[in-house]
Amino acid sequence: MIAYESQRVARWYLELSLILFCLQVTVGLWLAVNYAFTLPQGLVDVLSFATSRAIHTNTLVAWLLLGFMGGSYFILPLECKRELYSVKIAYAQLVIFAGTAVTAVVGFLFGWTQGKPLLEIPVPLDMLIVVAALMFVFNVAMTIFKAKERSLIQWMLLSGVTFLSVLYLFGIPFFSNLNADYYYWWWVIHLWVEGAWELITAAIIAFIILEVTGVERKVVEKWLYVETGLFLFTGIVGTGHHYYWIGAPDYWLWWGGIFSALEPVPIALMVLDTWMHVKERKNPIVNPLLWTYIIGLALFHFLGAGVFGFIHTLPQINYYTHGSQITVSHGHLAFFGAYALLNLVVFYFAFPKLKGIEKFDEKLGVWGFWTMVISMVFMGLIFGVAGVLQTYLERILDIGYSTAHMSMMFWFKAVLFFGVIFLAGVVTTAYHLFSLKKAEA
Amino acid sequence: MTGKTAKAIFWVGTLSSLIIFLWLTYDFHQQEPKYAKTDKISAQVVAGKKVWHKYNCNDCHTILGFGAYYAPDMTKAYFRLGENNIVSIVMNPEKVYKNSFRKMPNLGVTKEEAANLVQFLKWVGTIENRKWPPQDEKFVKAYKLRETSAHTLNKADIVMGACGGCHSLENLGRSIASDFNDIAKTTSFDRATLVKFTLNPQSVRPDSGMPNQNVSPATAELIADFILSLKIGKEVQK
Ligand code: HEC
Ligand SMILES: [Fe+2]
Repeated sequence: MIAYESQRVARWYLELSLILFCLQVTVGLWLAVNYAFTLPQGLVDVLSFATSRAIHTNTLVAWLLLGFMGGSYFILPLECKRELYSVKIAYAQLVIFAGTAVTAVVGFLFGWTQGKPLLEIPVPLDMLIVVAALMFVFNVAMTIFKAKERSLIQWMLLSGVTFLSVLYLFGIPFFSNLNADYYYWWWVIHLWVEGAWELITAAIIAFIILEVTGVERKVVEKWLYVETGLFLFTGIVGTGHHYYWIGAPDYWLWWGGIFSALEPVPIALMVLDTWMHVKERKNPIVNPLLWTYIIGLALFHFLGAGVFGFIHTLPQINYYTHGSQITVSHGHLAFFGAYALLNLVVFYFAFPKLKGIEKFDEKLGVWGFWTMVISMVFMGLIFGVAGVLQTYLERILDIGYSTAHMSMMFWFKAVLFFGVIFLAGVVTTAYHLFSLKKAEA
Repeated sequence: MTGKTAKAIFWVGTLSSLIIFLWLTYDFHQQEPKYAKTDKISAQVVAGKKVWHKYNCNDCHTILGFGAYYAPDMTKAYFRLGENNIVSIVMNPEKVYKNSFRKMPNLGVTKEEAANLVQFLKWVGTIENRKWPPQDEKFVKAYKLRETSAHTLNKADIVMGACGGCHSLENLGRSIASDFNDIAKTTSFDRATLVKFTLNPQSVRPDSGMPNQNVSPATAELIADFILSLKIGKEVQK
């Protein structure tokens, strides 16, 4: 039931994305094992925590970006009422992107790295990523320019993906000064997750809500303007919450503290507008699971990214929590709540259509959803407890690192337990999506 | 709210934030020399930073609090450990952490690379970052003051500042090497031997795994006195 033939390219993107999601979580479990047990030196020498972490985080970014790109390719024809500008570019770009990602992961195993957390991909491979990104932005832009009607959603999506691609450039150069290095590192990381990615999320969700609820476009667009405006207003200067302890002037404590305290506001608006549109829907609910995901996204986005971010963004608190397992807790809840769930919304929106199913049998998918959500809440809580404990032992009681960290072994066994459950949820969901069937009437 | 107001919110919000941010970025660079001591970034420091990247140290260790949280923060590592200890850990982690609950891989760092790393970490330690991380401030203070005005510091702080990277004193320091109370209990060295041992362990016990310590003879004497005072303290208690 796709409306345009070129939407089919999305399928490859989304399926690859799902596979990488499974891989990412599996490697995550291995990281938890590294924390929970004492591994023999021989093993650590061959496959270190550092290498595994590079794979965990890079596969995360790769599957999220694949989801964004696949999602964009799926909704653009609908929103532009025409085929994609070029299906060939879309496929070529996928081959370059996926090839680079695989090469990067294999490279990490052999120690080929740029050595910057989350941005470990070496410069030559960065160039390939840039090529793929340029092709993508070009293809999106041309599809939009050739459309008969212009819409805010098109425009916001294009801004989001362009902004995302431009920011990537700031992570590529070598800086001899460590604090400038991290100053710009956050232009990639923070301005992605609290800037460009939010634009993409807002645009995609606005489109999907419009599509499934049938509410008035004008209303949805108004919300979209206000939300993205507030995302960028709070998010851009809010980058300052990463500059408290890097060696930068004092005013960052104020700018960073105040602007990032406001960051939950646009996310709260998103919860509100989702809620209202769901209530005022004109269309019947065909696949309740898709709605569960949309509402789950709104709430988890708000709690994991918004509220939890708010809790430790003030300098007085961040002084103690910075660089501890509390960041790990926030990172997991925020990435899952905002972006993993966004991609899952896209999957559950696109897969049935790509497979020509109107109403799908959702039993397994419901299990998948709740298993993932519940185990992720537990993982977040346990990371959080471990973080508070670590902070208290190390930074308040002044106990040395190794003594303080031995207690982590216990908490990470618990994380490992819920991680296994989480993986079961992920695999169930992936299996459900891959083997989607028509619901029995 | 009208569509026009919504659009205005978008543009005013985005542009005002962007302008503030770019202006602050300009100012950040203006003030960089002051905060990051950029004039102290020698060729060796840059080489050390490249080593830091080459071995992906940052995906286990945080620095300035960023990176992975698997191993101790490196921002003030220079003050916590001193030159020789860093070299010895980075080149032979499998020996240093033989009995530890968590291992650091032997990454094959060469002697020259290790020396560059030390210079890099030394420079990083001087970045004015509002005394973060909190737990390392005592090491920084002890390092800076123990040579010039040792009397202003608590003796335990001096000792733990110099030796706390490996040795513990009850809850303080790290339990890589023995606790000072145990050392005091078991040692048969006199003051002069303790001083000699601190400065060059192998000259006293050729099989010792402890590296030569980068402390002045005066600090070594202070450490020796501290150990002996623990011993007396224990005997008096009895
Ligand atoms: C696979 C993870 C890993 C990598 C990669 C790694 N380390 Fe470590 N490192 C550790 C662990 C774990 C410890 C602490 C072990 C313990 O306390 O038992 C440690 C300890 C240290 C210490 C001592 C810290 C202290 O406070 O006592 C230094 C210095 C150090 N590492 C430097 C480096 C440098 C420099 C690199 C890169 C060349 C590096 N490490 C790479 C895991 C790693
Ligand atoms: Fe941020």
